[in-house]
Amino acid sequence: MAAWVKGGATDADTAIGAAVSLLAKARAPVIAGLSADVAAIRAAYDLAGRIGASIDTAGAVGTYAELGALSRVGAITSTPAEAVGRADAVLVVGAAPWRTALVKRLSETKPVRGRAAGADRALLALGAGADGAKAASSYPAEDGLAEAVAELRAYAKGHLAGDTPQAKLVAQLTAAQYGVLLYDPAELGELGVEMLQAFAMELNETTRCFTLAISGPDQDRAVVPVAAWMTGQAPRSGFGRRVPEHDPWRFDVARQVAAGEVDAVIWLAALPVERPDWLASVPSVALVAEAEASLADVVIAVGRPGRDLGGVLWNEQRAALTYWPASAPTDLPSAASVLGTLRERLVTAGAASRSEPAC
Amino acid sequence: MSTLTLRAAPPERLDFLNINPLALSRLSQAEAERLEVGTTRTGVRLGDCFSVALDGSDTLTIEGSHERLDRVGATLSEGAIRVTGDVGQRLGAGMAGGSLTVTGHAGPYAGAGATGGTITIEGDAGDHAGGAVYAAKAGLDGATLIIRGTAGAHLGDRMRRGLILAGRAGAYAGSRMIAGTLAALSVGDHPGYGMRRGTLLVGSHGRLSPTFVETGTHDLVFLKLLAKSLRGLSAEHAALLDRPLRRYSGDLATIAKGEIWVAS
Repeated sequence: MAAWVKGGATDADTAIGAAVSLLAKARAPVIAGLSADVAAIRAAYDLAGRIGASIDTAGAVGTYAELGALSRVGAITSTPAEAVGRADAVLVVGAAPWRTALVKRLSETKPVRGRAAGADRALLALGAGADGAKAASSYPAEDGLAEAVAELRAYAKGHLAGDTPQAKLVAQLTAAQYGVLLYDPAELGELGVEMLQAFAMELNETTRCFTLAISGPDQDRAVVPVAAWMTGQAPRSGFGRRVPEHDPWRFDVARQVAAGEVDAVIWLAALPVERPDWLASVPSVALVAEAEASLADVVIAVGRPGRDLGGVLWNEQRAALTYWPASAPTDLPSAASVLGTLRERLVTAGAASRSEPAC
Repeated sequence: MSTLTLRAAPPERLDFLNINPLALSRLSQAEAERLEVGTTRTGVRLGDCFSVALDGSDTLTIEGSHERLDRVGATLSEGAIRVTGDVGQRLGAGMAGGSLTVTGHAGPYAGAGATGGTITIEGDAGDHAGGAVYAAKAGLDGATLIIRGTAGAHLGDRMRRGLILAGRAGAYAGSRMIAGTLAALSVGDHPGYGMRRGTLLVGSHGRLSPTFVETGTHDLVFLKLLAKSLRGLSAEHAALLDRPLRRYSGDLATIAKGEIWVAS
């Protein structure tokens, strides 16, 4: 297996040994990224529990915009397959969803199931910019998406009225048999997501309408249920005091690095995600599929689930966790097995003890 | 007056949930020094970072504080805490009574879920001051929060009861407000976003959402009562009510029982 320590190619044992010595002396380690299969995410939580690390994910901004709104007002959601099969009106909120394959599919097909079967599908745009050229009707939302969604909700409630583009959008959604509000939580933000959910509930007074959040290349949709069944909490938990503590502000790894609170990071990206800028500024171990020597202090190449080896991943289409067999099997180790080895070695090495003069 | 004096910058975030005058009054010096305040696996005890001087009284002074001190005065129910310096997140979170004063700046979520007492921040406050933490039902819930400097974004997010005074505030002040009163000399864009009920009193504001409608000028008894209650806390804020006021009603996206008073 391919491994590097400080940029120099080495064997697996040496790399694991270097990772163990880096983590063993860490006061506040972090396991970040978590773009991997379910077995690796489980192994990451297990390791975090043993070494008192905290956890953060690659797509945490969007995940917490979703979870924050969900925890307060709930959500009324659909799946991509249902949207493609049933929706006769789709409001695309913001610019990001227009770049997904789902919008292309929605624009090229018609509903085939349910009350709207056989009808035409109207694509509507809110704040899409140039991306939303295909939309049947649109409203630019120049003063922010969250504000524009609030306006739509005010029209749906009947608190605002008039012959405006917003009134037309709401009328089209109200007239639809099965409406879908498609959005990117990271782009819309927690306040906007909460407002959008309330807007969907408002539309459900007269017709059927659901929200559908697009997900990024990260595996946050898999991390949320795994974190829930392993800790009872959302992803950003820390195990410094032995019990899992959930604190989305304290365990934001970018904030922790900027504040100098982190002294070791494990970057887990068995599926490729964008590498964060802060990774270079902290002692790090990278478990990645697309490995390169300069990525971190210790780099260990792991198999990519669904390609090099099988694994359970988030299935965007079915909106469920499903098993993906290896399409081109290799002998690269799984991220879960590397994390398991690290855990065993760190447990026998003994965790860091209390430093006598702490200050 | 008991005193904790910081000797050096803490090596990790400290949790001061259990450090209050009532808890310390029952402990000996050695017991207090052994209290766990660290948050990592290495851990820190109170005596590691602070010189402890106890006298069993109901006032506590924290000298030379640091932005890594979280939850200072959280769940305080009686007595007073005075902090000379900065504090971290969740200052006075869930506080039920007493008085809490910080001479420096505070981190985010100051006064989250506080049901009673008075929190005074003489410097600036971070985002979500008087706001709700993740999954909490409400932000400030009956306490009085005074920020002499600048507050960040989302001031009073989801606040439910009580009073917030701030010098300047960032965007989304009073967002998702359930009830209560928030007064600021100026606020940023989108004040009162998604507010249900509650009162905002502002000297000036950034962009106001079109889901707020002007309802004219009014001469209400309520405003005189508000002026009276503000006068004891901040003459500057009470003076806003002497100026001609325009009233906006909203947020029309919700039940729209909130109001923003803008002094002109």
